[in-house]
Amino acid sequence: MTNAPTNAASAEVTAIDSGARRPLLLLLGAALVWLVVSGVLALITSIQMHSPGFQADCPVLTHGRAAALRETAFIYGWAANAGLAIALWVLARLGGAPLRALNWAVIGTIFWNLGVAVGLVGIATGDMTSFAFFQLPRYVQPLLVVAYGAIAVSGVLAWSGRRTDQTYASQWYAVAALFLFPWLSSAAQVVLLWAPVRGTLQALASGWFTQGVWACWLAPLALAGAYYVVPKVSGRVLPSYDFAPLSFWTLIFVGAWTGGRHLVGGPVPAWIATMAVVSCSLLLFHYLIVGLNLRVACGAEGTGIKFIRYGLAAYVLGGVLDGITSFRGIALRTQFTLISDAQEQMAIYGGVSMMFFGAIYYMVPRLTGRPWASALFTVGHRVLVTSGVTVLLISLFVGGWIQSGELLDSKIPLADILGHLRIWFLLGSAANLVILGANILFLVNFCQSACVCSPIQASTENLFRQPTALEAPVS
Amino acid sequence: MSTPPNSDPRVDQAAVTDESLLAVHEKILGSQPDEKARYKLLPLNLLFIFSGLIFFAGTYMNRYAGRFDPHIYDENLKSTKGEAVAAAPVDPVVVGKKLFNNAACNTCHQATGLGQPGAIPPLVASEWATGPAERVIRIVLHGLQGPITVNGAAYNSAMPPFGRVAGSGFNWSDDKVAAVLTYVRQEWGNQASAITTEKVAEIRAKEGDHKPWTAEELLKIP
Repeated sequence: MTNAPTNAASAEVTAIDSGARRPLLLLLGAALVWLVVSGVLALITSIQMHSPGFQADCPVLTHGRAAALRETAFIYGWAANAGLAIALWVLARLGGAPLRALNWAVIGTIFWNLGVAVGLVGIATGDMTSFAFFQLPRYVQPLLVVAYGAIAVSGVLAWSGRRTDQTYASQWYAVAALFLFPWLSSAAQVVLLWAPVRGTLQALASGWFTQGVWACWLAPLALAGAYYVVPKVSGRVLPSYDFAPLSFWTLIFVGAWTGGRHLVGGPVPAWIATMAVVSCSLLLFHYLIVGLNLRVACGAEGTGIKFIRYGLAAYVLGGVLDGITSFRGIALRTQFTLISDAQEQMAIYGGVSMMFFGAIYYMVPRLTGRPWASALFTVGHRVLVTSGVTVLLISLFVGGWIQSGELLDSKIPLADILGHLRIWFLLGSAANLVILGANILFLVNFCQSACVCSPIQASTENLFRQPTALEAPVS
Repeated sequence: MSTPPNSDPRVDQAAVTDESLLAVHEKILGSQPDEKARYKLLPLNLLFIFSGLIFFAGTYMNRYAGRFDPHIYDENLKSTKGEAVAAAPVDPVVVGKKLFNNAACNTCHQATGLGQPGAIPPLVASEWATGPAERVIRIVLHGLQGPITVNGAAYNSAMPPFGRVAGSGFNWSDDKVAAVLTYVRQEWGNQASAITTEKVAEIRAKEGDHKPWTAEELLKIP
């Protein structure tokens, strides 16, 4: 760091960013490739909903396998890589020092993605497990935990070696996510894959893991990025920030307890579902505080902040819907319908992925020292993916609403119900096509921005304005 | 502070530095030294919402958790504790034995029911204990004092009132009085009739808060 720049741009782009450039761009590139792969699979599975014959003779792409492949590529391919890149970067920026142990991160990234690739082949050839968010065959699961640990080392070192004692919400969420995934995954592996518990307990463990992946891993990763970008771009202090720690601990403590909401009416003791209902209600406080904290995103401008605004709305709304649909009387209608799918998509696509997009749009120019290659592709991706996800959610919610009413009426044959849903399935396919196109634009734009490997240009002085100091609120 | 315009969609400009972002937000949390004592109280309305959610959660848990019983699958199952006790037939001898030996009767009459020669009359084969129900119920309800002859031996001591009457230190319900009397009348070889709760209630209603009986008074009652 002998040549640490002292010019006007020094405060915004420093050795912290240039040093982390290649490892983090590797993570992001892998993430985007998996995102497109998952998009292709999403399109195939959604076409199969209205045209069941599509690819039905291809054993690799029968609906069950294709759906598992889509989900796995999305969670372990896209979300994991992107979330880790964001978490590491945020920890480095707020820690005030360049990332260390980046060799570990690179090796971890390579093995993680190899593991995911092998796992996807395994799923396609029939080795998948039967648990949601956990379909990867058991022979790659330990590898993934180790690879994750190797990547996370950098983040943990950035946290423990931070330059000041001051900490910020982004760091809490990022560090929590770094530590919680290995715990969730290894615990779930033991009780579901290596020494499987029997009977009902499997459903319980699976529910715990599914909700844990969401509440203790993906949501914290997304919030780490959002909590960082929103005040940085808006230049405003987060309102009600005094409650941010309470909100954080509510999510970490209560989050995985919501797992039992998938088991309402199932063969589990009454208290498990009741505990999940109660946890969903308590989580409303977390969503409320996140909404209050990050509402300053509404007044700000920028590509990243627009994504985060959408993500935030979906995140909070999704949380409220989770709370409402967890109650038994309502779960009776929504369980096992497209509404459950809609909620899942709202959480992992509308909420988490949109916040990831926002953080990535903010982060990549700082890593590469160049703006995004194409303004057209940037705006195009944003418009297409937000409208695509919106249409997808509408099709699933409306279709699910119709489906739930008709499924409860024993006089309507199942085939008729599927017939009534056909239009919404078609709409869903169209939405998935738009989303896929948007994400291909994103991948191309990313490759053009990132793959020209030249040092940070002198023009960064003009590229990034000198940020000013944040003014404390007048109390 | 006004937000600087972000006109280029390809680059998001940062408005503030990382250092000030950390410092200002850390200050809000109040974990930094604040010599000027400007700590703010947490906003009450949010605390109320949080407390309200916790209150709801606790109430809901209590109502629908099925007592955390792994065998209860129906969350609407009402607590069956009270009903179960009322529905199960109770053996008055068992209850009576418990009452008798629970630092009440056994202190004087002994667990053997033999009393203490010269001081406390025996219950075993006693013409009083196995005698008319009208008399024994009154003794236990209101107590007994003054001279009394039992099995040919004379005693002179006092027994406190056990029933739910004025001056009673025990306040036993009619159920308990009936149970302990039934026990005494059917234990140690005694073979007198059981005492019913109704009979105890009837006598208590009739005599009210009578002072402790004497043997003389009791002998007048058939």
